[in-house]
Amino acid sequence: MKTSTIFRYILLAVFNAGVFYAIPLSIAFEAWFLLSLIILNAFLVNIVYLTDRFKPMKWILPGMIFMISFVVFPAIYNTYVSFTNWSTGHILNKTQAIKVLEDRTFTPEDQKDILFDLYVLQDQNLQFYFFADLDENNMFFGKAVTDEDIITASFATHEPSLKKNGELSIPDGFYLLSGKEQIANADALQDLSLVIDSKTRAKLFKISVFGASTGSLSSTSQLYTYDSTNDALINNSTNTICPAVDDNFECNGKEIDPGWRIYVGSENYENLFSNQRIRGPLNIVTKWTFQFAILTVIFSFFVGLLLSMILNKDNLKFQRIYRSLFILPYAIPAFVSVLVWKGLLNPDYGVINNWFAPIYEILEIEPIKWLKTKESARAAVLLVNTWLGFPYMFLITTGALQSIPKELIEAAKVDGASGIQSFWRITFPLLMVSISPLLIGSFAFNFNNFTLIFLLSGGGPPVIGSEVAVGWTDILISFTYKLAISGGRGNMFGLASTVTIVVFGIVLLISALSFRYTKRLERIYGNI
Amino acid sequence: MKTNKLRFIVFLLMLSMVAVACGGGTAEEAEEAPATTEAPQETLAAPATTAPPPEVIVVWAEEKVAVALEPLVGAYEAAAGVDVEVVVYDFGAIRTDVQTAGPAGEGPDVFLGAHDWVGELAANGVLAPVNIGSIASDLFDVGIAGFSYGGMTYGVPYATEAIAMYYNADLVDGVPASWDDVKAACEAAGTELCVGAPGGGGGADAYHNHPFVASAGGYVFKVEGGFDPNDVGLDNEGALASAEYLDTLVKEGVVASTDYGGSMSAFQEGRSLFWMTGPWARNDASAVNYGVGLIPAFGDSPATPFVGVRGAMVSSFSEKRLLAESFILDFFVTVEVQEAMYNSDPRLPATKSLFAIVEAADPIAAQFAASAANGIPMPNIPEMGSVWGPFGDALLIIRDQAYGTNEETGVTVNSASDAMKLAAEQVRTAIAGG
Repeated sequence: MKTSTIFRYILLAVFNAGVFYAIPLSIAFEAWFLLSLIILNAFLVNIVYLTDRFKPMKWILPGMIFMISFVVFPAIYNTYVSFTNWSTGHILNKTQAIKVLEDRTFTPEDQKDILFDLYVLQDQNLQFYFFADLDENNMFFGKAVTDEDIITASFATHEPSLKKNGELSIPDGFYLLSGKEQIANADALQDLSLVIDSKTRAKLFKISVFGASTGSLSSTSQLYTYDSTNDALINNSTNTICPAVDDNFECNGKEIDPGWRIYVGSENYENLFSNQRIRGPLNIVTKWTFQFAILTVIFSFFVGLLLSMILNKDNLKFQRIYRSLFILPYAIPAFVSVLVWKGLLNPDYGVINNWFAPIYEILEIEPIKWLKTKESARAAVLLVNTWLGFPYMFLITTGALQSIPKELIEAAKVDGASGIQSFWRITFPLLMVSISPLLIGSFAFNFNNFTLIFLLSGGGPPVIGSEVAVGWTDILISFTYKLAISGGRGNMFGLASTVTIVVFGIVLLISALSFRYTKRLERIYGNI
Repeated sequence: MKTNKLRFIVFLLMLSMVAVACGGGTAEEAEEAPATTEAPQETLAAPATTAPPPEVIVVWAEEKVAVALEPLVGAYEAAAGVDVEVVVYDFGAIRTDVQTAGPAGEGPDVFLGAHDWVGELAANGVLAPVNIGSIASDLFDVGIAGFSYGGMTYGVPYATEAIAMYYNADLVDGVPASWDDVKAACEAAGTELCVGAPGGGGGADAYHNHPFVASAGGYVFKVEGGFDPNDVGLDNEGALASAEYLDTLVKEGVVASTDYGGSMSAFQEGRSLFWMTGPWARNDASAVNYGVGLIPAFGDSPATPFVGVRGAMVSSFSEKRLLAESFILDFFVTVEVQEAMYNSDPRLPATKSLFAIVEAADPIAAQFAASAANGIPMPNIPEMGSVWGPFGDALLIIRDQAYGTNEETGVTVNSASDAMKLAAEQVRTAIAGG
């Protein structure tokens, strides 16, 4: 057997160990979708690599798995979220929400602020006893019980004998726990309470290592009890029944937080398209998104093309150095250069306004308030994005220009075509054949260029008078973000996912149309 | 044949690795299992004879606070016999991560955050109430109000923050008591601008402008045992009158049209006499000889700045809530800890005991604290997300006098009252979710 085969089996073993580690974990977190994904992937990997029957798949599969995990899965998950009510107040599942609600206790108004020293004792059988020192007439002592045993537990008795002249006197057979020992047993103690009467109990809420621990009173029953047969919550404080309505329990028509996640069907989509409040801003934003994406592609393409044409001269000195310099903006991470640009554009201290100051003075105009007015903000966004985008266009056009046969240009020259004519009639169309798919890609990328907008202008300046928070430079994706974060009450993940699905649809449609157009170009010029 | 044999060996190897992986899993489950049952716990409880491994309290805190806590927790660890693990966490990420890590069983027991998270976190069921009864007398009311939501208290405040008024001490003796006197003070000093406050010059800022609207009866949400999202008071009588008064102040040139940067440079260069902002700007203000006073009153009503509160909260997904609460109430609130945190991250004291120390050492901080005591906490309900945008924009219109009709939306705003009414309407529709 070859070493490569052994190596392959070892890798496979490690992979499977990981899978078997992940399966119980995802079961514990009730992540059923993830679980099925893991099992599916594990199944595929084992089939492909354990036999020799699927040779091609051995090469394709890793790529496919990464595509499934990082592209297909998020996309499907996003679609799933767009059909749910996932938002502030609805992030837990129903079981978790019920547990959180059932954990709540309540204290009747008149007992609310009563705090007292609470001593923890243990008998020979290591059972816990509480001694609650409310005042000289109420010194309760008794066995501490868990919530289940409250109903059967005997009431604590008034034992003034335990405290004589302000000093504790521990009865025989009992041991008084120090703060440190209480902390060591905190897990057990936090579930215990001393039943004072049928309605009242004393609980420990603060263990003090420096003095006596403190207890407080609360009702013996929890605030809410879940009744699974009627799917309702019973409020023990007011004795009201709170039925589950959709995604919340409702007490007298008032929703109880937290609610839980449910499937809401196409509600989010209907909401988005029928909602007058969102539709107005959506129009402004959609228009600008198209303008932004198209203008960005055009500007950066022509700047890049111009530079690559200039540097494409064979006899140019230092050609490589120039080319490397022009690629620099591409090499710096966008979020660094965008923040630098933001500083440069600052109307008060920015370098740009400083440099322009003499020009402003000569023309006698107000300095431009970069990013503060609609026009200047949009211009700034386009300027910065052109700066970020041209090196890429420069790179690809340089490559494409070199692949165009020189003979064609020479033949045109012989036929008497001018330089401009041969560029527009020969070079440019040939360039478009290879470049236009990349332009479409660039369009799709800029259509969703969240980083730039978020970091440079934050979508601002605000559209004054619009009914939802929206800015003049907001594009669809940053508008989505604002909608998700600052809508009604907190985060609306469901609605935001819906908008991204719509954005995805738009990009898909445009790309499909453009690719069809590109095919036509190819048919015309592809034979040359 | 040979290949098959090897394959079998490899298969065995895989099985053994699987067994190891599963073994790890079951061991973990075995550890967790007793937590749900009764009996084994009580055997654990033997106090003196057995020494169970110390409990671990996980605390998430931002860097500055964590740095202050780290050297101090040792004392508590020794006294209490627990491990306190202070995790340095990005401040903003705490808010989002407790909501994802908590339900997944990975979250902190205690985390330090801002009071305006409370509504969202409580609505999402990730906060456990804290009984602050034993320390309430030492806390400023504004801090407690900040952490109250739906009739419960969800955190123990340790710092507050509010704006006040810086003045250029070379040009003026102090901040006048009322706005009517501010104009006279500026005319006497003869500075180019009078009061620089963020929220104009194209940069919307509702936070800094809250006193202009809410000092004489206006409010964002009515406070009655918590903030009421269905009662928006941005266009009530008091708010409209205050907004019109702000409009007058702007027209008279008392309040300049500046954004944050503009107001800062104007103050630093001595071009403005006053600067309305918070204690974080003390370094920036020190470019001139400055003093700090209360924001002038509006008629008889003292200015009410928005107050931000920081506090310690307990996760409802913590398995050790009693420990977590004990850690906060028994150790975290002690004046030594509070002072160490104050020294590392100087905000305003939330406890009276720390205030006494700070007041003696730093009168300017005391001025800010006094301003905060007049203020109201920023609403902590999730609906506040719908307020910042419209509220800030309306004030921006007034501050920049940008009245007129918006071409694309067709909305006309001709006066300060119009702007406030529009903002209130926007907030109401956003909250209704329409």
